[in-house]
Amino acid sequence: MNPLKKIFDNNEHLFTGSGKYKRLASLFDATKTFFFFPSPTTKIMPFIRDHLDLKRYMSFVLISLVPVLLFGIYNTGFQAGIASGEHLGLGSSFLAGAWVVLPIILVSYGVGFFWEILFATIRNHKISEGFLVTGMLFPLTLPPTIPLWQVALGISFGVVIGKEVFGGTGRNILNPALTARAFVFFSYPVSLSGNVWVANQNTVDGISGATALAITGGDGQTITQALSSAGFSLSDLFFGLVPGSIGETSALCCLLGVLFLIVTRIANHRIVLGGIAGLVVTAILFYLIPGGQESWANAGPLYHLCAGGFLFGICFMATDPVSAPGTHAGRWAFGFLIGFLTVTIRVVNPAFVEGTMLAILFMNVFAPLLDHMVIKYKTSKRIPNV
Amino acid sequence: MEKIKLSKGFTPQLAGMPDTSLIQLPTPHTIGLSALDIPYIRPKLLVKENDPVKTGTPLFCDKRDTAIQYVSPGTGTVKKIWFGERRQLQEVVIALDAPEKFVQFDPVPKKGLGNISKQELILRLKQGGLWQSLRQFPAKDTADSSHRPAMIIVSLNGNDIFSPHPGILLDREKQAFEFGLDLLKHFSDRVIVTARHSSLGRLKPILSHITHTVADTYPAWDPGVVLFHLKKSADENTSWCITADHLVMMATFLITGRYPVERIVTVTKNGDKRPHILTRQGAPIKILSGSFHPESLVTTGRFNGRIADIQGHLGFFENTLNIIDAAGEDELFGFIRPGTDKTTVSRAFLSCLSKNPQKVDATLHGEERACINCSYCENICPNDLMPSFIMKALHSDEIEDALAYGLLDCCRCGLCAYTCPSKIELTQILSHGMDSHYKDKA
Ligand code: SF4
Ligand code: SF4
Repeated sequence: MNPLKKIFDNNEHLFTGSGKYKRLASLFDATKTFFFFPSPTTKIMPFIRDHLDLKRYMSFVLISLVPVLLFGIYNTGFQAGIASGEHLGLGSSFLAGAWVVLPIILVSYGVGFFWEILFATIRNHKISEGFLVTGMLFPLTLPPTIPLWQVALGISFGVVIGKEVFGGTGRNILNPALTARAFVFFSYPVSLSGNVWVANQNTVDGISGATALAITGGDGQTITQALSSAGFSLSDLFFGLVPGSIGETSALCCLLGVLFLIVTRIANHRIVLGGIAGLVVTAILFYLIPGGQESWANAGPLYHLCAGGFLFGICFMATDPVSAPGTHAGRWAFGFLIGFLTVTIRVVNPAFVEGTMLAILFMNVFAPLLDHMVIKYKTSKRIPNV
Repeated sequence: MEKIKLSKGFTPQLAGMPDTSLIQLPTPHTIGLSALDIPYIRPKLLVKENDPVKTGTPLFCDKRDTAIQYVSPGTGTVKKIWFGERRQLQEVVIALDAPEKFVQFDPVPKKGLGNISKQELILRLKQGGLWQSLRQFPAKDTADSSHRPAMIIVSLNGNDIFSPHPGILLDREKQAFEFGLDLLKHFSDRVIVTARHSSLGRLKPILSHITHTVADTYPAWDPGVVLFHLKKSADENTSWCITADHLVMMATFLITGRYPVERIVTVTKNGDKRPHILTRQGAPIKILSGSFHPESLVTTGRFNGRIADIQGHLGFFENTLNIIDAAGEDELFGFIRPGTDKTTVSRAFLSCLSKNPQKVDATLHGEERACINCSYCENICPNDLMPSFIMKALHSDEIEDALAYGLLDCCRCGLCAYTCPSKIELTQILSHGMDSHYKDKA
């Protein structure tokens, strides 16, 4: 027998029944099933079952986040270098970035798992794999300058209020990672308002560096001119070497990740395509409305697509199946409306420059309604059988 | 011949397809009549242990209609009557220790079907132990003989992917089959005969009787799926169905006046290619299955059968056994291996790129979790249901909603529970919902 397996088997009695550590049963179980895939015999038809399960499902989301994460670490270090007047190479950028980003991720996972284990123990549940994803998504939406205590508070809010009060994974209405982010956004606006986004390794405070969405034209400059003179050309935004949240800056990495998810059919392509379509259509509509040369209304679809957190949101947040609609038509509408709302919020309400977060949370709330309408329609098409 | 198109369903690459040759098993020492595979029955025993019985002697009847009898498929003595929990009848075992004698009915001449009244036919089939081969939708209970169904669906292919090839039976029983089709015309104006596309090659002699062909996608040939795709109005919901081998039995019984005891069955196992087996109805499972790894599961349909007790006997409604490996091995880092040999509908394993037959085993591959709304179940359901929403309606006791979503269109094919990554027992939940609704209504 595998020696690792032996360790688990030998210690199992401590964690079950009246064992010494029975309160940690869920932690033991999660650790054991992490290493060894559980596969009990089926007792109920159908007797054969698909190999796909939630562990693999959620692991695939994590894999899809690897490009975004690696690039985010690199970019954080790179931007910090620029801010302190140096041009860091690949390795040193990476190191500098990791020094900033890894603690944020560790705090997110550590604090989040604490809550997960607590609730799993109280409720006598298994720990849900969903948190693996939440715990990684949340830090990626944060600016590198975020104080760690805010990370801890945010993830606590996301897990407890965003998920557990609803009854845990599967019953939550809102995406927990986004709930956490929204909490930090509204509670500590200074940290997230778009001005202090560059981590600096030399000073404790970050120094000021506006994100793309905070820029407006003016003095005869159109928005696109203003953007490129501030260093946000379209290609910069696409590749992502710009200041911004850790994981959100690179459109390319988001697209790579979501491509993997769509090909493996983990993420639903309807949400992503619907979202991009909604964004493009709305951005074109605003573009065609005369006036507003210097505001985001005139930025056109490509800038809207690549700037800010839209792609990250639509690719990784909106595709969270639990908080998205469960019907195909509902998913198209859900995605489309997120795209629409993102642009609308960006244009109409410059106080909330980052519209994606609000758009997704708002649509999370309406997802059950979309489902309800789709099901009503589908039901009316069936030949009744009662 | 029309084609019924199925846009969903599943075509797994399974190993263990049976060979189309036929071997005959020697007469076994015991045979059994199982009550476990008879839906909704409330059995009333008509014999005691040690009673002598003839082939065709009623062993039990259905309390809901005592005229419907379940008869002994052999001659001998009642050796044992097995009861389960709460004294529920499980099986009557007969020792075949006497020369075969039949309960004899008047034979119906081949051309004489027209001279017999419908009432008389019904009565004779009930007494002869064959009426129950006709099943009535939506619950697939025994057909109500006072009802005239909008259609009767005759399925040439059985419940499992590797159920017996209909050609092997119909090569031998063409005339009985045709007699049976004439018989069904007494009960309904519309008789549908369906066959899998892959079976057609060997069905030449009866090709003209086949009205619809279906794809080889599981479960396209299930009568519930056929009905769902054919029906145009709500009064067709109570159609009937019957399998080809039962139809042949019915016809043989009427023609000869004797209860027919032969059955053709398949036994499938990973890596084997076993021939079809000609045996008696109710043959012992142990003899059919041969020896196998003790940790295997023997089922009467990998997606929609029951677990067969190795000491038991094959039921009236069963004609296939699947021996499925069940040695659950906890796999190190199983969730992230590339998986070149895993059966899956998803695209999350490399195996989805290959067309080779894959091994399957009777384990869950994971643990139950809450529904994550992924729609895998909806994407596979042959009858266009949204199992997750029906499940949620059933869980909150909104049976009206569940019915409106199409609960009764569920053919219990098992695919939704097969595919669910959260390992939710969807088929069981829906099936229980359907049963309790049906019983409440009755
Ligand atoms: S609901 Fe499930 S069992 Fe019923 S028909 Fe659909 S897939 Fe088959
Ligand atoms: S397959 Fe399972 S988890 Fe997915 S929607 Fe259906 S019931 Fe829910």
